Amino acid sequence: MRVLIALSGGVDSSVAAALLREQGHDLVGVTFHLWDAAGDNKVGRCCAPEDRDDARRTAEELGFPHYVIDERAAFRQRVVEPFLDSYLGGTTPAPCVACNQHVKVHRLVELADRFGCERIATGHYARIVRTQVGARSEARLLRGRDRNKDQSYFLYGVPPAALERLLFPLGELTKDQTRAEGVRLGVPNAGKPDSQELCFVPDGDIGGFVERERALSQEGEIRDQGGSVVGAHQGIYRYTVGQRRGLNLGGGPARYVLRVVPEDKSVVVGDDAALLSASCRAEAAAWCNGAPAEPFEADVRVRYRHAPARARVYPEAHGFRVEFVEPQRAITPGQAAVVYRGEEVVGGGIIA
Amino acid sequence: MIYLDHHAATPLSAPVRAAIEQAHALAWANPSSAHAAGRAARALLERVRRQLAELVEVQAADLVFTAGGTEACNLAVLGLGAEVGPGAHVISSPLEHPAILEAVQAIGRRGARVELLAVEAAHGQPTPAALAAALRDDTALVALQWVNHETGAIAPVEEYARLCHARGVPLVIDGCQVLGKVPCNLSALSELGVRAIALASTKLGGPAGVGALWLARGQALTALTYGGAQERGRRAGTPDAAAIAGFGAALAAVESRLLSQPRLAQLRDQLEQLCGACGASVNAPAEGARVATVSNVSVPGWRGEILVAALDLEGLCVSAGAACSSGLGAPSPVLRALYASEPWRAESALRLSLGPETQATEVEQACAILQRVLGRAP
Repeated sequence: MRVLIALSGGVDSSVAAALLREQGHDLVGVTFHLWDAAGDNKVGRCCAPEDRDDARRTAEELGFPHYVIDERAAFRQRVVEPFLDSYLGGTTPAPCVACNQHVKVHRLVELADRFGCERIATGHYARIVRTQVGARSEARLLRGRDRNKDQSYFLYGVPPAALERLLFPLGELTKDQTRAEGVRLGVPNAGKPDSQELCFVPDGDIGGFVERERALSQEGEIRDQGGSVVGAHQGIYRYTVGQRRGLNLGGGPARYVLRVVPEDKSVVVGDDAALLSASCRAEAAAWCNGAPAEPFEADVRVRYRHAPARARVYPEAHGFRVEFVEPQRAITPGQAAVVYRGEEVVGGGIIA
Repeated sequence: MIYLDHHAATPLSAPVRAAIEQAHALAWANPSSAHAAGRAARALLERVRRQLAELVEVQAADLVFTAGGTEACNLAVLGLGAEVGPGAHVISSPLEHPAILEAVQAIGRRGARVELLAVEAAHGQPTPAALAAALRDDTALVALQWVNHETGAIAPVEEYARLCHARGVPLVIDGCQVLGKVPCNLSALSELGVRAIALASTKLGGPAGVGALWLARGQALTALTYGGAQERGRRAGTPDAAAIAGFGAALAAVESRLLSQPRLAQLRDQLEQLCGACGASVNAPAEGARVATVSNVSVPGWRGEILVAALDLEGLCVSAGAACSSGLGAPSPVLRALYASEPWRAESALRLSLGPETQATEVEQACAILQRVLGRAP
């Protein structure tokens, strides 16, 4: 079976390729050139020439063809510009969701069609189970076995037709097992460290990135919940709900960002208890196996590192409302609310 | 595997491989050395130099070996244009290979005013009228190609030469795609006042890494490399005698390459017919001449780089534009210039280039692959 494998140059996708190769699949490797990193910090996921070289080397050593496809224009349009808009609009974007949904998977499906590949594989930590529903098979997206690495959160937007063709060879593995498999299979970059930051902001300085990209700088007031000015800030895009560091409010009780108000470029702070909230709304919903009609019980995650919380989900016209059983801390507009039923990803949307 | 990318690099024939191997065994020494081993290498070098001189009808002493066509182009532009300073006027064309264009732009960064001639799809190369209109009293250098690497369009170089000569402006020509495709007599161009012509081995059956620059007798040249008096002080560095031996063996087959052109033109037309039937448009000059070895087509609904990969997976080796820019995914600057109002042509371009080794059965198979792959577009 001809399988298209997305290689980032990192260890996960390399091991995924090696496992598929071992299973006897006929692989075609592709690496997306998404971004040109600026300055000294050129080592970052997907963005550095070194990563493309690593991907090329993996394909070469495993013995399958590999192509670098330029998707810089799509990445800027569908990921980076919305990312900048989101920060300047006072929200905290989830670019990996946008990238998987609008760039990577979308392009992989198109390439698979054009390359004559039946299946598409990536090194994501997530699982797919296929069940027979009447005459056709239906693919369901499940969390990865490794709870610490599980990347299903980023994949809720993958359309059902793509899910049916996707393979996640690492879904049953832990990160340690992946590295061990990498060593066993002689994957050239098995020891390469994981990337920690966003691939297009490898130094982690999001504030600086927003200012460079949009050629702006910003100042504004930090207020308390009563509206009194308690400090000053250098750009609302430097703050996210729940953040404590970088406020420079002097001593006193710990204060956290509660809200970012783009209209007057202010940041509202308060104590930890004020971060709790029992409900949220999500927009631009995507459902893995069809939109639900009725409210239902589910587990919802409101950020990548959030343990699923019991909730009731109320479908709306283009989104959904979530009522949590227990109030949740720092529900942040711009992040994805991803709805699970046990292991299974039901769908998700962007928190309004 | 079917190889239709002869404008990027040509396969090495058995005689070429044998010549390289023999040189590795017998002429490995430094050709500048005074001893017997050095003399053997030197003799090989000079034999190939005379062979090339005879083939293109120039003096051997006026040929400089370089490490490839790019270096020959760079040496022509930067070696002749070393004194071209701020304010001077330099003419080139947007259809040039980056080896010329980027060298010209380097002169531009020193303050020269670089003018790129207007081009039209119908002619495929700048017209003599466009060059005549651009030439000025203070034009310090003109750098233009002979055969386009992507479309195969042949430029009216004799007319360029007459125009430049009449204004006393030095003309350098990128002839890297010429040998074996177009009969060429450099002495005729020399008589018309051309100052330098760049040639490449890897486009005519020889190995990569060797080329030559012909210089008009007495032409001053500033070397680009420092470190030795090789090539009469025009190109420092020990020449690669084995690559030059391969170049020589390839030169011996230039006549037969030329004889294969009518057959290749038929195969090219066959490819173009098939591509046309699949909805592609041929990017060829309607009113200009072109070589027989290349077919440049644009396929709506495809991006060139993706089509190249899809065809590669089926065993067909082609390219989306100049091989040097492939892999970057940038749409062909040549087609962008020729078809400024139809950007899709550059984005979806495919270059299929043939050589004397290309068999009719291979072209048939290539057509079948093209048909199958193009049919996958949504």
